Amino acid sequence: MGREEAPKPPLAGVVYGEIAYWMVIVGMVIAIAGSFIYLTSGGYVDSECLLAHLWAGADVHTIWEECAGIDEVPHGHWYLGMLGYGDAIAMLGIAIACLAAVVGMWGSVAAMFKEKEMLFAVFALVVAVILTLAAMGVITLKH
Amino acid sequence: MQGSSLVGKAILLVLLLLACTGTALAAEDATMGMSPPVFFLVFLLVCIIIGIVAVLGGVGGGVVFTPLMMGFTDIDTFIIRATGLFVAMAGALVAARPFLRRGLANVRLLFFAAVPYATFAVIGALLAGYVKETMGATGDALVKLSLGVLVIFIALLILFGGKRVEYPEVKNVDSLSERLGLAMAYWEESLGGVVDYKVTRSPVAILLFCGVGLISGMFGLGAGWAMVPVFNLVMLAPLKVAAACSKVLIGIGDTAAIWPYIMGGGIFPLFAVPCMIGLIVGTLIGAKIMLRVKAGFVRYLIIAIMFGSGLKLLQSGLTGLGYL
Repeated sequence: MGREEAPKPPLAGVVYGEIAYWMVIVGMVIAIAGSFIYLTSGGYVDSECLLAHLWAGADVHTIWEECAGIDEVPHGHWYLGMLGYGDAIAMLGIAIACLAAVVGMWGSVAAMFKEKEMLFAVFALVVAVILTLAAMGVITLKH
Repeated sequence: MQGSSLVGKAILLVLLLLACTGTALAAEDATMGMSPPVFFLVFLLVCIIIGIVAVLGGVGGGVVFTPLMMGFTDIDTFIIRATGLFVAMAGALVAARPFLRRGLANVRLLFFAAVPYATFAVIGALLAGYVKETMGATGDALVKLSLGVLVIFIALLILFGGKRVEYPEVKNVDSLSERLGLAMAYWEESLGGVVDYKVTRSPVAILLFCGVGLISGMFGLGAGWAMVPVFNLVMLAPLKVAAACSKVLIGIGDTAAIWPYIMGGGIFPLFAVPCMIGLIVGTLIGAKIMLRVKAGFVRYLIIAIMFGSGLKLLQSGLTGLGYL
Protein backbone atom coordinates (compact mmCIF):
# COMPACT_ATOMS: atom_id res chain seq x y z
CA MET A 1 0.00 0.00 0.00
CA GLY A 2 1.10 3.60 -0.13
CA ARG A 3 0.65 4.72 -3.73
CA GLU A 4 -2.21 7.15 -4.16
CA GLU A 5 -2.82 6.68 -7.87
CA ALA A 6 -5.19 3.92 -9.03
CA PRO A 7 -3.42 1.42 -11.31
CA LYS A 8 -4.73 1.34 -14.85
CA PRO A 9 -6.85 -1.80 -15.39
CA PRO A 10 -5.27 -4.18 -17.93
CA LEU A 11 -6.69 -3.68 -21.43
CA ALA A 12 -7.27 -7.44 -21.87
CA GLY A 13 -9.63 -7.50 -18.88
CA VAL A 14 -11.56 -4.41 -19.96
CA VAL A 15 -11.97 -5.76 -23.51
CA TYR A 16 -13.21 -9.13 -22.21
CA GLY A 17 -15.61 -7.54 -19.72
CA GLU A 18 -17.17 -5.13 -22.22
CA ILE A 19 -17.63 -7.72 -24.99
CA ALA A 20 -19.02 -10.38 -22.60
CA TYR A 21 -21.41 -7.97 -20.88
CA TRP A 22 -22.93 -6.47 -24.01
CA MET A 23 -23.23 -9.78 -25.83
CA VAL A 24 -25.10 -11.32 -22.88
CA ILE A 25 -27.44 -8.32 -22.76
CA VAL A 26 -28.12 -8.55 -26.53
CA GLY A 27 -28.61 -12.33 -26.19
CA MET A 28 -31.04 -11.84 -23.30
CA VAL A 29 -33.12 -9.31 -25.25
CA ILE A 30 -33.33 -11.65 -28.27
CA ALA A 31 -34.13 -14.63 -26.00
CA ILE A 32 -36.95 -12.70 -24.30
CA ALA A 33 -38.38 -11.54 -27.64
CA GLY A 34 -38.17 -15.11 -29.00
CA SER A 35 -39.84 -16.51 -25.89
CA PHE A 36 -42.67 -14.02 -26.25
CA ILE A 37 -43.22 -15.12 -29.87
CA TYR A 38 -42.93 -18.78 -28.81
CA LEU A 39 -45.54 -18.40 -26.08
CA THR A 40 -47.97 -16.46 -28.25
CA SER A 41 -47.68 -18.20 -31.62
CA GLY A 42 -45.97 -21.55 -31.11
CA GLY A 43 -42.60 -22.87 -32.17
CA TYR A 44 -40.53 -25.66 -33.67
CA VAL A 45 -40.81 -27.69 -30.45
CA ASP A 46 -44.45 -27.89 -29.35
CA SER A 47 -44.60 -26.05 -26.01
CA GLU A 48 -47.51 -28.04 -24.47
CA CYS A 49 -45.80 -31.31 -25.38
CA LEU A 50 -42.45 -30.03 -24.08
CA LEU A 51 -44.04 -29.02 -20.78
CA ALA A 52 -45.74 -32.39 -20.35
CA HIS A 53 -42.52 -34.26 -21.07
CA LEU A 54 -40.42 -31.96 -18.87
CA TRP A 55 -42.70 -32.65 -15.88
CA ALA A 56 -42.72 -36.35 -16.66
CA GLY A 57 -38.90 -36.44 -16.55
CA ALA A 58 -38.50 -37.42 -20.21
CA ASP A 59 -34.97 -37.36 -21.63
CA VAL A 60 -33.90 -35.03 -24.43
CA HIS A 61 -34.13 -37.75 -27.07
CA THR A 62 -37.80 -38.43 -26.23
CA ILE A 63 -38.63 -34.72 -26.10
CA TRP A 64 -37.13 -34.00 -29.53
CA GLU A 65 -38.78 -37.06 -31.01
CA GLU A 66 -42.23 -36.48 -29.53
CA CYS A 67 -42.42 -32.68 -29.54
CA ALA A 68 -40.47 -31.72 -32.68
CA GLY A 69 -41.23 -34.85 -34.66
CA ILE A 70 -37.61 -35.68 -35.48
CA ASP A 71 -35.89 -39.01 -34.98
CA GLU A 72 -32.65 -37.72 -33.52
CA VAL A 73 -31.51 -34.96 -31.21
CA PRO A 74 -30.42 -32.15 -33.57
CA HIS A 75 -26.71 -31.87 -32.79
CA GLY A 76 -25.23 -28.49 -33.56
CA HIS A 77 -26.86 -25.15 -34.21
CA TRP A 78 -30.35 -26.40 -35.17
CA TYR A 79 -31.97 -23.00 -34.55
CA LEU A 80 -30.10 -21.25 -37.38
CA GLY A 81 -32.23 -22.91 -40.02
CA MET A 82 -35.49 -22.39 -38.12
CA LEU A 83 -35.51 -18.67 -37.37
CA GLY A 84 -39.15 -18.35 -38.39
CA TYR A 85 -40.05 -20.00 -35.05
CA GLY A 86 -40.14 -18.24 -31.67
CA ASP A 87 -38.19 -20.92 -29.81
CA ALA A 88 -35.46 -20.89 -32.47
CA ILE A 89 -35.15 -17.10 -32.05
CA ALA A 90 -34.99 -17.56 -28.27
CA MET A 91 -32.34 -20.25 -28.75
CA LEU A 92 -30.38 -17.86 -30.97
CA GLY A 93 -30.44 -15.36 -28.08
CA ILE A 94 -29.21 -18.07 -25.68
CA ALA A 95 -26.43 -18.99 -28.13
CA ILE A 96 -25.36 -15.34 -28.46
CA ALA A 97 -25.18 -15.12 -24.65
CA CYS A 98 -23.14 -18.33 -24.59
CA LEU A 99 -20.82 -16.94 -27.29
CA ALA A 100 -20.09 -13.85 -25.18
CA ALA A 101 -17.11 -15.37 -23.39
CA VAL A 102 -15.81 -16.96 -26.61
CA VAL A 103 -15.68 -13.61 -28.45
CA GLY A 104 -14.50 -11.87 -25.27
CA MET A 105 -11.57 -14.28 -24.94
CA TRP A 106 -10.44 -13.64 -28.52
CA GLY A 107 -10.61 -9.90 -27.79
CA SER A 108 -8.45 -10.53 -24.72
CA VAL A 109 -5.93 -12.54 -26.73
CA ALA A 110 -5.53 -9.63 -29.15
CA ALA A 111 -5.20 -7.16 -26.26
CA MET A 112 -2.63 -9.36 -24.48
CA PHE A 113 -0.52 -9.58 -27.65
CA LYS A 114 -0.86 -5.83 -28.11
CA GLU A 115 0.40 -5.27 -24.55
CA LYS A 116 3.22 -7.77 -25.22
CA GLU A 117 2.18 -10.03 -22.33
CA MET A 118 3.20 -13.08 -24.38
CA LEU A 119 2.90 -15.80 -21.73
CA PHE A 120 -0.59 -14.76 -20.65
CA ALA A 121 -1.57 -14.21 -24.28
CA VAL A 122 -0.74 -17.89 -24.83
CA PHE A 123 -2.84 -18.90 -21.78
CA ALA A 124 -5.74 -16.81 -23.12
CA LEU A 125 -5.23 -18.31 -26.58
CA VAL A 126 -5.47 -21.86 -25.20
CA VAL A 127 -8.74 -21.01 -23.43
CA ALA A 128 -10.10 -19.19 -26.51
CA VAL A 129 -9.36 -22.26 -28.66
CA ILE A 130 -11.08 -24.61 -26.15
CA LEU A 131 -14.15 -22.34 -26.03
CA THR A 132 -14.24 -22.02 -29.83
CA LEU A 133 -13.98 -25.78 -30.40
CA ALA A 134 -16.81 -26.32 -27.90
CA ALA A 135 -18.97 -23.63 -29.56
CA MET A 136 -18.35 -25.10 -33.01
CA GLY A 137 -19.55 -28.48 -31.83
CA VAL A 138 -16.19 -30.19 -32.26
CA ILE A 139 -16.35 -31.10 -28.56
CA THR A 140 -19.83 -32.53 -28.25
CA LEU A 141 -22.06 -35.14 -26.62
CA LYS A 142 -23.62 -37.64 -28.99
CA HIS A 143 -26.86 -39.39 -28.14
CA MET B 1 -36.18 -5.12 9.85
CA GLN B 2 -38.05 -4.29 6.70
CA GLY B 3 -35.48 -6.28 4.76
CA SER B 4 -35.78 -9.27 7.10
CA SER B 5 -39.56 -9.32 6.65
CA LEU B 6 -39.09 -9.19 2.88
CA VAL B 7 -36.72 -12.15 3.01
CA GLY B 8 -39.19 -14.01 5.24
CA LYS B 9 -41.93 -13.47 2.67
CA ALA B 10 -39.58 -14.59 -0.09
CA ILE B 11 -38.81 -17.84 1.79
CA LEU B 12 -42.49 -18.54 2.33
CA LEU B 13 -43.13 -17.95 -1.35
CA VAL B 14 -40.32 -20.35 -2.38
CA LEU B 15 -41.69 -23.04 -0.07
CA LEU B 16 -45.22 -22.44 -1.35
CA LEU B 17 -44.12 -22.63 -4.96
CA LEU B 18 -42.10 -25.78 -4.31
CA ALA B 19 -45.08 -27.30 -2.53
CA CYS B 20 -47.29 -26.36 -5.50
CA THR B 21 -44.72 -27.92 -7.84
CA GLY B 22 -44.73 -31.11 -5.76
CA THR B 23 -48.52 -31.21 -5.69
CA ALA B 24 -48.60 -30.53 -9.40
CA LEU B 25 -46.22 -33.40 -10.03
CA ALA B 26 -48.57 -35.73 -8.24
CA ALA B 27 -51.47 -34.67 -10.43
CA GLU B 28 -52.74 -36.74 -13.33
CA ASP B 29 -52.70 -33.98 -15.93
CA ALA B 30 -49.57 -34.27 -18.07
CA THR B 31 -48.92 -30.52 -18.08
CA MET B 32 -49.66 -30.30 -14.35
CA GLY B 33 -52.46 -27.85 -15.05
CA MET B 34 -49.99 -25.22 -16.22
CA SER B 35 -50.05 -23.61 -19.61
CA PRO B 36 -46.64 -22.70 -21.07
CA PRO B 37 -47.06 -18.96 -20.22
CA VAL B 38 -47.97 -19.84 -16.62
CA PHE B 39 -44.98 -22.22 -16.44
CA PHE B 40 -42.77 -19.39 -17.74
CA LEU B 41 -44.08 -16.95 -15.09
CA VAL B 42 -43.89 -19.47 -12.23
CA PHE B 43 -40.26 -20.33 -13.01
CA LEU B 44 -39.45 -16.65 -13.48
CA LEU B 45 -40.79 -15.98 -9.99
CA VAL B 46 -39.12 -19.02 -8.41
CA CYS B 47 -35.77 -18.04 -9.93
CA ILE B 48 -36.08 -14.40 -8.85
CA ILE B 49 -36.50 -15.69 -5.29
CA ILE B 50 -33.64 -18.19 -5.66
CA GLY B 51 -31.46 -15.33 -6.97
CA ILE B 52 -32.36 -13.10 -3.99
CA VAL B 53 -31.76 -15.83 -1.40
CA ALA B 54 -28.52 -16.97 -3.07
CA VAL B 55 -26.93 -13.54 -3.19
CA LEU B 56 -27.92 -12.89 0.44
CA GLY B 57 -26.32 -16.20 1.42
CA GLY B 58 -23.14 -15.34 -0.46
CA VAL B 59 -23.33 -18.12 -3.07
CA GLY B 60 -24.05 -18.11 -6.79
CA GLY B 61 -27.60 -18.76 -8.02
CA GLY B 62 -26.55 -21.92 -9.86
CA VAL B 63 -25.45 -23.61 -6.63
CA VAL B 64 -28.98 -23.27 -5.21
CA PHE B 65 -30.85 -23.70 -8.52
CA THR B 66 -29.43 -27.08 -9.63
CA PRO B 67 -29.86 -29.05 -6.36
CA LEU B 68 -33.34 -27.56 -5.76
CA MET B 69 -34.57 -28.41 -9.26
CA MET B 70 -32.96 -31.84 -9.22
CA GLY B 71 -34.21 -32.66 -5.73
CA PHE B 72 -37.77 -31.35 -5.99
CA THR B 73 -38.82 -31.84 -9.64
CA ASP B 74 -38.76 -34.83 -12.01
CA ILE B 75 -37.22 -32.79 -14.83
CA ASP B 76 -34.43 -34.78 -16.50
CA THR B 77 -31.08 -34.24 -14.76
CA PHE B 78 -29.31 -33.56 -18.08
CA ILE B 79 -31.69 -30.67 -18.84
CA ILE B 80 -31.38 -29.29 -15.30
CA ARG B 81 -27.57 -29.43 -15.41
CA ALA B 82 -27.52 -27.71 -18.81
CA THR B 83 -29.86 -24.98 -17.57
CA GLY B 84 -27.96 -24.67 -14.27
CA LEU B 85 -24.70 -24.08 -16.13
CA PHE B 86 -26.39 -21.58 -18.43
CA VAL B 87 -27.86 -19.47 -15.62
CA ALA B 88 -24.59 -19.56 -13.64
CA MET B 89 -22.68 -18.50 -16.75
CA ALA B 90 -25.05 -15.67 -17.74
CA GLY B 91 -25.03 -14.22 -14.21
CA ALA B 92 -21.24 -14.42 -13.99
CA LEU B 93 -20.72 -12.76 -17.39
CA VAL B 94 -22.99 -9.84 -16.50
CA ALA B 95 -21.29 -9.37 -13.11
CA ALA B 96 -17.73 -9.58 -14.49
CA ARG B 97 -17.66 -6.20 -16.22
CA PRO B 98 -17.29 -3.88 -13.18
CA PHE B 99 -14.62 -6.14 -11.62
CA LEU B 100 -12.54 -6.02 -14.80
CA ARG B 101 -13.05 -2.30 -15.40
CA ARG B 102 -11.81 -1.53 -11.87
CA GLY B 103 -8.90 -3.94 -12.14
CA LEU B 104 -10.17 -5.88 -9.12
CA ALA B 105 -10.10 -9.13 -11.07
CA ASN B 106 -6.45 -10.00 -11.82
CA VAL B 107 -6.34 -10.97 -15.52
CA ARG B 108 -3.00 -12.78 -15.21
CA LEU B 109 -4.36 -14.90 -12.35
CA LEU B 110 -7.56 -15.41 -14.34
CA PHE B 111 -5.97 -16.69 -17.53
CA PHE B 112 -3.56 -18.83 -15.53
CA ALA B 113 -6.51 -20.47 -13.69
CA ALA B 114 -8.79 -20.57 -16.73
CA VAL B 115 -6.66 -23.13 -18.59
CA PRO B 116 -7.10 -26.03 -16.09
CA TYR B 117 -10.60 -24.90 -15.07
CA ALA B 118 -12.05 -24.63 -18.60
CA THR B 119 -10.33 -27.82 -19.78
CA PHE B 120 -11.73 -29.87 -16.92
CA ALA B 121 -15.16 -28.20 -17.11
CA VAL B 122 -15.45 -29.54 -20.67
CA ILE B 123 -14.21 -32.97 -19.55
CA GLY B 124 -16.82 -32.90 -16.74
CA ALA B 125 -19.62 -32.04 -19.17
CA LEU B 126 -18.54 -34.83 -21.54
CA LEU B 127 -18.29 -37.26 -18.63
CA ALA B 128 -21.82 -36.33 -17.50
CA GLY B 129 -23.12 -37.02 -21.02
CA TYR B 130 -21.25 -40.32 -21.15
CA VAL B 131 -22.71 -41.46 -17.80
CA LYS B 132 -26.19 -40.46 -18.94
CA GLU B 133 -25.81 -42.20 -22.29
CA THR B 134 -24.26 -45.43 -21.13
CA MET B 135 -25.96 -45.93 -17.78
CA GLY B 136 -29.46 -44.51 -18.34
CA ALA B 137 -31.60 -44.42 -15.17
CA THR B 138 -28.78 -45.85 -13.05
CA GLY B 139 -26.52 -43.05 -14.27
CA ASP B 140 -29.19 -40.51 -13.34
CA ALA B 141 -29.49 -41.99 -9.86
CA LEU B 142 -25.70 -41.98 -9.43
CA VAL B 143 -25.53 -38.32 -10.50
CA LYS B 144 -28.26 -37.41 -7.97
CA LEU B 145 -26.50 -39.38 -5.23
CA SER B 146 -23.11 -37.78 -5.93
CA LEU B 147 -24.63 -34.31 -6.16
CA GLY B 148 -26.45 -34.92 -2.86
CA VAL B 149 -23.14 -35.76 -1.16
CA LEU B 150 -21.48 -32.75 -2.79
CA VAL B 151 -24.26 -30.32 -1.79
CA ILE B 152 -24.16 -31.52 1.84
CA PHE B 153 -20.37 -31.10 1.74
CA ILE B 154 -20.77 -27.52 0.44
CA ALA B 155 -23.30 -26.78 3.22
CA LEU B 156 -20.82 -28.11 5.80
CA LEU B 157 -18.06 -26.05 4.18
CA ILE B 158 -20.18 -22.90 4.55
CA LEU B 159 -21.05 -23.89 8.14
CA PHE B 160 -17.62 -24.88 9.42
CA GLY B 161 -15.27 -23.64 6.68
CA GLY B 162 -12.11 -21.77 7.55
CA LYS B 163 -12.42 -18.07 8.10
CA ARG B 164 -11.64 -16.13 4.96
CA VAL B 165 -8.88 -13.57 5.28
CA GLU B 166 -9.32 -10.11 3.81
CA TYR B 167 -5.60 -9.47 3.25
CA PRO B 168 -3.64 -12.72 3.69
CA GLU B 169 0.04 -12.39 4.46
CA VAL B 170 2.31 -14.05 1.89
CA LYS B 171 5.62 -15.03 3.49
CA ASN B 172 7.10 -17.21 0.74
CA VAL B 173 6.27 -17.03 -2.95
CA ASP B 174 6.86 -20.32 -4.78
CA SER B 175 9.13 -20.27 -7.82
CA LEU B 176 6.34 -20.88 -10.36
CA SER B 177 4.22 -17.96 -9.07
CA GLU B 178 7.34 -15.81 -9.01
CA ARG B 179 8.34 -16.72 -12.57
CA LEU B 180 4.83 -16.25 -13.92
CA GLY B 181 4.53 -12.85 -12.29
CA LEU B 182 0.94 -13.39 -11.13
CA ALA B 183 1.02 -10.57 -8.58
CA MET B 184 -0.75 -7.31 -9.43
CA ALA B 185 -2.13 -4.26 -7.64
CA TYR B 186 -5.60 -2.75 -7.34
CA TRP B 187 -7.20 0.39 -5.98
CA GLU B 188 -8.95 -0.30 -2.65
CA GLU B 189 -11.73 2.21 -2.16
CA SER B 190 -12.21 1.52 1.58
CA LEU B 191 -8.50 2.14 2.27
CA GLY B 192 -8.21 5.02 -0.16
CA GLY B 193 -5.02 3.53 -1.55
CA VAL B 194 -3.41 0.92 -3.74
CA VAL B 195 -3.09 -2.66 -2.49
CA ASP B 196 -0.01 -4.46 -3.84
CA TYR B 197 -0.38 -8.16 -3.26
CA LYS B 198 1.45 -11.41 -3.99
CA VAL B 199 0.10 -14.89 -4.60
CA THR B 200 1.68 -18.28 -3.97
CA ARG B 201 1.18 -22.10 -4.19
CA SER B 202 0.41 -22.06 -7.92
CA PRO B 203 1.15 -25.79 -8.49
CA VAL B 204 -1.39 -26.85 -5.83
CA ALA B 205 -3.90 -24.35 -7.18
CA ILE B 206 -3.61 -25.84 -10.70
CA LEU B 207 -4.66 -29.25 -9.36
CA LEU B 208 -7.53 -27.74 -7.38
CA PHE B 209 -8.78 -25.80 -10.43
CA CYS B 210 -8.84 -29.07 -12.39
CA GLY B 211 -11.06 -30.66 -9.71
CA VAL B 212 -13.35 -27.64 -9.42
CA GLY B 213 -13.78 -27.47 -13.22
CA LEU B 214 -14.64 -31.16 -13.37
CA ILE B 215 -17.32 -30.79 -10.68
CA SER B 216 -18.71 -27.64 -12.31
CA GLY B 217 -19.07 -29.24 -15.75
CA MET B 218 -20.30 -32.57 -14.43
CA PHE B 219 -23.02 -31.27 -12.12
CA GLY B 220 -23.97 -27.99 -13.78
CA LEU B 221 -23.01 -25.85 -10.81
CA GLY B 222 -21.32 -22.48 -10.69
CA ALA B 223 -18.22 -23.02 -8.56
CA GLY B 224 -17.69 -19.81 -6.60
CA TRP B 225 -18.06 -21.77 -3.33
CA ALA B 226 -14.84 -23.63 -4.21
CA MET B 227 -12.92 -21.05 -6.21
CA VAL B 228 -12.98 -18.23 -3.66
CA PRO B 229 -11.26 -20.47 -1.04
CA VAL B 230 -8.69 -21.63 -3.63
CA PHE B 231 -7.76 -18.04 -4.54
CA ASN B 232 -8.02 -16.69 -0.99
CA LEU B 233 -6.90 -19.51 1.34
CA VAL B 234 -4.57 -21.48 -0.96
CA MET B 235 -3.06 -18.81 -3.23
CA LEU B 236 -3.42 -16.11 -0.54
CA ALA B 237 -4.96 -13.46 -2.81
CA PRO B 238 -6.93 -10.69 -1.03
CA LEU B 239 -10.57 -11.66 -0.44
CA LYS B 240 -12.02 -9.08 -2.84
CA VAL B 241 -9.62 -10.15 -5.60
CA ALA B 242 -10.52 -13.80 -4.94
CA ALA B 243 -14.25 -13.10 -5.18
CA ALA B 244 -13.85 -11.01 -8.35
CA CYS B 245 -11.58 -13.58 -10.06
CA SER B 246 -13.96 -16.38 -9.09
CA LYS B 247 -16.95 -14.59 -10.63
CA VAL B 248 -15.13 -13.89 -13.91
CA LEU B 249 -13.73 -17.42 -14.07
CA ILE B 250 -17.21 -18.98 -13.65
CA GLY B 251 -18.26 -17.13 -16.81
CA ILE B 252 -15.30 -18.54 -18.77
CA GLY B 253 -15.37 -22.11 -17.43
CA ASP B 254 -19.12 -22.53 -17.64
CA THR B 255 -19.06 -21.28 -21.23
CA ALA B 256 -16.66 -24.11 -22.03
CA ALA B 257 -18.95 -26.61 -20.30
CA ILE B 258 -22.29 -25.34 -21.63
CA TRP B 259 -21.59 -25.94 -25.33
CA PRO B 260 -21.49 -29.74 -25.16
CA TYR B 261 -24.91 -29.55 -23.46
CA ILE B 262 -26.28 -27.16 -26.12
CA MET B 263 -24.93 -29.37 -28.90
CA GLY B 264 -26.53 -32.33 -27.11
CA GLY B 265 -29.96 -30.66 -27.35
CA GLY B 266 -30.21 -30.13 -23.57
CA ILE B 267 -31.29 -26.47 -23.57
CA PHE B 268 -34.97 -25.63 -24.06
CA PRO B 269 -35.80 -21.90 -24.12
CA LEU B 270 -39.13 -22.41 -22.32
CA PHE B 271 -37.17 -23.58 -19.26
CA ALA B 272 -33.84 -21.76 -19.69
CA VAL B 273 -35.03 -18.20 -20.46
CA PRO B 274 -37.23 -17.60 -17.37
CA CYS B 275 -34.56 -19.17 -15.16
CA MET B 276 -31.84 -16.92 -16.64
CA ILE B 277 -33.89 -13.72 -16.34
CA GLY B 278 -35.16 -14.70 -12.89
CA LEU B 279 -31.73 -15.38 -11.43
CA ILE B 280 -30.19 -12.21 -12.87
CA VAL B 281 -33.11 -10.04 -11.65
CA GLY B 282 -33.09 -11.84 -8.28
CA THR B 283 -29.36 -11.24 -7.90
CA LEU B 284 -29.81 -7.52 -8.58
CA ILE B 285 -32.68 -7.27 -6.06
CA GLY B 286 -30.75 -9.37 -3.52
CA ALA B 287 -27.75 -7.07 -3.77
CA LYS B 288 -29.98 -4.14 -2.74
CA ILE B 289 -31.71 -6.05 0.09
CA MET B 290 -28.31 -7.18 1.38
CA LEU B 291 -27.68 -3.74 2.82
CA ARG B 292 -30.72 -4.07 5.11
CA VAL B 293 -30.71 -7.66 6.41
CA LYS B 294 -28.62 -9.58 8.92
CA ALA B 295 -26.24 -11.75 6.91
CA GLY B 296 -26.08 -14.44 9.62
CA PHE B 297 -29.78 -15.28 9.29
CA VAL B 298 -29.55 -15.72 5.53
CA ARG B 299 -26.39 -17.79 5.84
CA TYR B 300 -28.23 -20.30 8.02
CA LEU B 301 -31.16 -20.22 5.58
CA ILE B 302 -28.85 -21.17 2.69
CA ILE B 303 -27.30 -23.95 4.79
CA ALA B 304 -30.82 -25.27 5.57
CA ILE B 305 -31.86 -25.14 1.88
CA MET B 306 -28.70 -26.95 0.83
CA PHE B 307 -29.05 -29.63 3.50
CA GLY B 308 -32.72 -30.12 2.49
CA SER B 309 -31.84 -30.37 -1.21
CA GLY B 310 -28.88 -32.64 -0.48
CA LEU B 311 -30.96 -35.06 1.58
CA LYS B 312 -33.70 -35.09 -1.07
CA LEU B 313 -31.08 -35.84 -3.74
CA LEU B 314 -29.63 -38.65 -1.63
CA GLN B 315 -33.13 -40.09 -1.21
CA SER B 316 -33.85 -39.85 -4.98
CA GLY B 317 -30.49 -41.37 -5.82
CA LEU B 318 -30.88 -44.27 -3.41
CA THR B 319 -34.45 -44.86 -4.63
CA GLY B 320 -33.23 -44.87 -8.24
CA LEU B 321 -30.57 -47.43 -7.36
CA GLY B 322 -33.17 -49.60 -5.61
CA TYR B 323 -31.83 -49.18 -2.07
CA LEU B 324 -34.97 -47.40 -0.76
